[in-house]
Amino acid sequence: MSRVNDPVAAIGASAAAARRPAPFVGAIVATLCVGAIALVPLLGVPYVTSLIFTLLVSFILAQSWDWVGGLAGYVNLGHFAYYGIGAYAFSIALAAGVPAPLCFVMAIAVVSTVAAILSFPLFRLKGDYFAFATLAILPLSELLAFNLVRLTGGADGVVLPPKYVLSQAFYTALAIAACTFALTVVLARSRFGYALKSIRNDEQAAEVVGIRIFPAKLGVMVLSAAAASLAGAVHAWQLSYIDPPTVFGLNVALVPVAMALFGGSGLLWGPMIGVALLFSIQQALLVNMTMLHATVYGLIILMIGRFMPGGLLRSRLVRSLPALRFLSREIHLDRQEPSRSTSTTRLPLPERKPSPSSELLVCRGLTKAFGGNIAVNNVDITIRQGEIVGLVGANGSGKTTLFNCISKVYEPTGELIFDGRNLAGLRRDQVSAVGVGRSFQNPRPFGDLTVAENVAIAATFRPGGPALPDALSEAASYAAFVGLGDRLDQRADSLSLQEKKSLELARALALHPKLLLVDEVASGLTPSEIRRFVEHIRDIREVYGITVIWVEHIFSALAQVVDRLIVLEQGQVIADAPLAEAVKDERVLAAYLGQVASKEGH
Amino acid sequence: MLSLDRIVVDHGKMRAIWDVSLDIQVGEKVGLLGANGAGKTTTLGAIQGLYPPQSGAITFDGQPIAGRPPAENVAQGIALVPEGRRLFPEMTVRENLEMGAYLRHARSDLRRTLEHILELFPILREKAGQHAGELSGGQQQMVAIGRALMSKPRLLLLDEPFLGVAPLVIYDVMDALRRVAESGVTILLVEQNIHRALDFVDRAYVIENGRNAFDGTRERLLGDPEFGAKFLGLD
Amino acid sequence: MPLDILAQIAIGGVLIGGLYALFAFGLSLIYGVARILNFSHGTLLAIAGVLASILYGALGASPLALVAIITGLALAFFLFGWGFHDLLLAPLKRRNHFEASVGTVLTTVGALIVIGDVAATLAGPRPRNIPLRSDVIEIGDVLIPVSQAWMLAGIALLTVVLQLVLTRSWYGRAVRAVTQDHVGATICGVRSRAIHGITFGLGTALAAIAGVLYAMVYPVDPYTGFSLTVKAFTIIVLGGIGNLVGALAAGLFLGVAEAFTAFFWAPEWAPALSITLLLIILVAFPNGFGNTRKA
Repeated sequence: MSRVNDPVAAIGASAAAARRPAPFVGAIVATLCVGAIALVPLLGVPYVTSLIFTLLVSFILAQSWDWVGGLAGYVNLGHFAYYGIGAYAFSIALAAGVPAPLCFVMAIAVVSTVAAILSFPLFRLKGDYFAFATLAILPLSELLAFNLVRLTGGADGVVLPPKYVLSQAFYTALAIAACTFALTVVLARSRFGYALKSIRNDEQAAEVVGIRIFPAKLGVMVLSAAAASLAGAVHAWQLSYIDPPTVFGLNVALVPVAMALFGGSGLLWGPMIGVALLFSIQQALLVNMTMLHATVYGLIILMIGRFMPGGLLRSRLVRSLPALRFLSREIHLDRQEPSRSTSTTRLPLPERKPSPSSELLVCRGLTKAFGGNIAVNNVDITIRQGEIVGLVGANGSGKTTLFNCISKVYEPTGELIFDGRNLAGLRRDQVSAVGVGRSFQNPRPFGDLTVAENVAIAATFRPGGPALPDALSEAASYAAFVGLGDRLDQRADSLSLQEKKSLELARALALHPKLLLVDEVASGLTPSEIRRFVEHIRDIREVYGITVIWVEHIFSALAQVVDRLIVLEQGQVIADAPLAEAVKDERVLAAYLGQVASKEGH
Repeated sequence: MLSLDRIVVDHGKMRAIWDVSLDIQVGEKVGLLGANGAGKTTTLGAIQGLYPPQSGAITFDGQPIAGRPPAENVAQGIALVPEGRRLFPEMTVRENLEMGAYLRHARSDLRRTLEHILELFPILREKAGQHAGELSGGQQQMVAIGRALMSKPRLLLLDEPFLGVAPLVIYDVMDALRRVAESGVTILLVEQNIHRALDFVDRAYVIENGRNAFDGTRERLLGDPEFGAKFLGLD
Repeated sequence: MPLDILAQIAIGGVLIGGLYALFAFGLSLIYGVARILNFSHGTLLAIAGVLASILYGALGASPLALVAIITGLALAFFLFGWGFHDLLLAPLKRRNHFEASVGTVLTTVGALIVIGDVAATLAGPRPRNIPLRSDVIEIGDVLIPVSQAWMLAGIALLTVVLQLVLTRSWYGRAVRAVTQDHVGATICGVRSRAIHGITFGLGTALAAIAGVLYAMVYPVDPYTGFSLTVKAFTIIVLGGIGNLVGALAAGLFLGVAEAFTAFFWAPEWAPALSITLLLIILVAFPNGFGNTRKA
């Protein structure tokens, strides 16, 4: 397949050049903006000041929601609860006579703790279930605020000591908002940010390239909750009175989420534009209409959802206006130098001399059952260093399941020794760290990241891996090796199936594996393409000493390169012998090769 | 019976088919071959109505059908055995087959057609009460073919019906398909394995990067040195 | 503790639990088939309650009027739901996954705001109910209002009919087929957009029926809706998405448990029960309680 004409791709390609001066210009523009907003209280119109103040609070909420929603891909509908709990923690402390700065610290401490504790149950859930569960946190918080009368004053709420703090609150909110935006910029380009983007795309694949996903999710949740708690605290300070419906109310809780989505979740400017627009619209309606202003407001949100469902900034309208186009750009890392010169002959892999006498992988009694179906049944195999082993068997015979057991996508029973180390109890990322790289039968690249970023993530997250910029230039070599050297800046989801499979191979190589598990890459390739792939596999072993287990249906491909064949049938090993012997084995012939072997003459 | 005239199909921003034409007569067994990503699956999808073409004409029985919804095409006698089988994993084999007769024209004859399919694939009679998701790859493929036949098609579109089927079972499936063809159903077969495909069909079209590359009877294709170099690995 | 008081509490719990289940049916059906999280579901339910209350007054407060109201509202909401789906939600299906889900959230949240505000402007924001004067059946010392007995019977009947429709009819088969494999259903000739639309309409009609019944027990105002949506989400997850029997069990269990919590401990803590239970169950069964589907 090839591209027709894609403005986004064009942007992507020219982005590196256009973005280069951005840090300086951006910093200057940002400083000017903050400076301009800082002048607002000097106008001496409290109405305007409090209006802009509310705008800043909304921005903090929407943007911090988007760290979890847009960056990590988890829709947290209960984000507003952190705002409310922060407001309560701050107010209760301030009413008790604690100095204001300390009250902010307390709000952060309380909310971060709550968010950390909640993360444990919540992140067991995926997708919509996560959204359901987070939604339930709001009414629970409101209920607690109503019912824990001694602490919260119940329905009467908390009254803060009477003091005029509008301008202090304003500058505090401005500082928090500026930090929130700065953090967004930093996050998007950081290693941590890339861990989150991988999680957003595919958690299992993220783990398989060595990312510990739970700490990353916990981290971003706490960060986002802390920012929300500050928003709540500073708002409570300014309001000087809070009660449960104002800070937990279900009717306002989804507004920050709607604002972020309205602008464009996951885009740098999305939440900011969404907040600014929706907030202005709301104020304008309140001033100009005596009734039905909520209806118009709702209609605008509805229409954006219907006609610009990716958010305003992703709409064709914004993309087609040259002056606004920068707003819709996704953040991708700039690569240091064009990689055209990178030769395909030398990969940045350590050259190892395998010692064929030592065992790399030993499986003893490996078993994995799904309900009554035993997919891998008491498998005993030994793989020596530097071998290339073909793993064959009919569909459903357990080949892919065996791979999944070795890479810990499933937890098998039985013994699994890799490089002298028992893999029992290791997580997927740890298995990847000790040197197991793999591809998936149905390729699972991180679709909305570029080819270079996909590979760089694996490089930077391997033990002792380089920092992101270096990982990115290293990534170019692997991509070139698998034939994707000229596709580095393209989004992975724009690749064809075969190219995605190649990308997975590059990603697995960037982990510097000792063992590479290759799952069905040849089906769909023409014979000459297969030959090229076989050359790659041979190179990987001969030059870099990487051991390979290759699952493949296309027998002639295996025949060109494997030292040995392991044949599975119904989860059991029925043959484990050099190719020439294995194809003569009667059980193998009957079970799998059957007439094909005789017919096609292998 | 079926003819495609210079069709163009886009998937979102990607153009999958640039220019594909083909003609099929009643009762033929025709192959549609090519490497992965060449546009074979998309071509079948365009015929069935899953992917309306951007331009070009598709006629079936002399009527233009490009862009017509799949349900109408099924009612007119076109059935697809899709890539990846697309069964209903939590319905029984029998329910899966019966879904094939969802449209009114097939419902009245449901019992008789079902009986006919269970004769074609006797193993399915034993498995009739099992959930389709629990079957082996080959059995699932039989259900997919059976489901397509339940709509009493005159044209059967097969998308890699041997993918994920154990080699021994492939011959059972192929025999069953031969019998289906003998009963008068026209067949368009998409297949990766060119030897296997040419074993089954009378003639074939080969597409490359979304465009027609070769066509002809199996003898002509096998005798074409350029075709051999590209697809049979004879270079 | 006298047995008749326990029975009395349990019956009250069953009644409210049955209503909970009914909210959840519609939402579960819509989510299970079309994978749409309809945030406006509870609001539609509340509006149905408000409308029924107004109509009940206008039509002369007779049981016949009530039946007419339920039928009429169910039909009107069915058409509204179908139209809402076809005009606003179905076109989003053609977008990519990200845009489709974000667009659905924005559209249904927008609808929630619009519907609530329009209703509040037209009917006023005050809570309304359907005042029923009815006889009481006495079984020993336990009193059951006749109207409530009828409601329970209605909920039970509706459950059975729905279950039969979903398992036996061609519509039900098509629903299951679309849910399990969208493309597979399409090539069997199922017009999945129509199935989604009908199902969305059916779910909305169920919300309308639930709303009318709810207004017979509690007052509703146009803004009560969203908390009911949250409650319905809870029940769906407890009972298993798309699992009607599970939703009924979860609804009944919650209703009874809340009634006892309110009686033996404190009424203000009763709503905490469902949420706490939800969190516990989600931790123990991350794929949903009633969902036995394998990974």
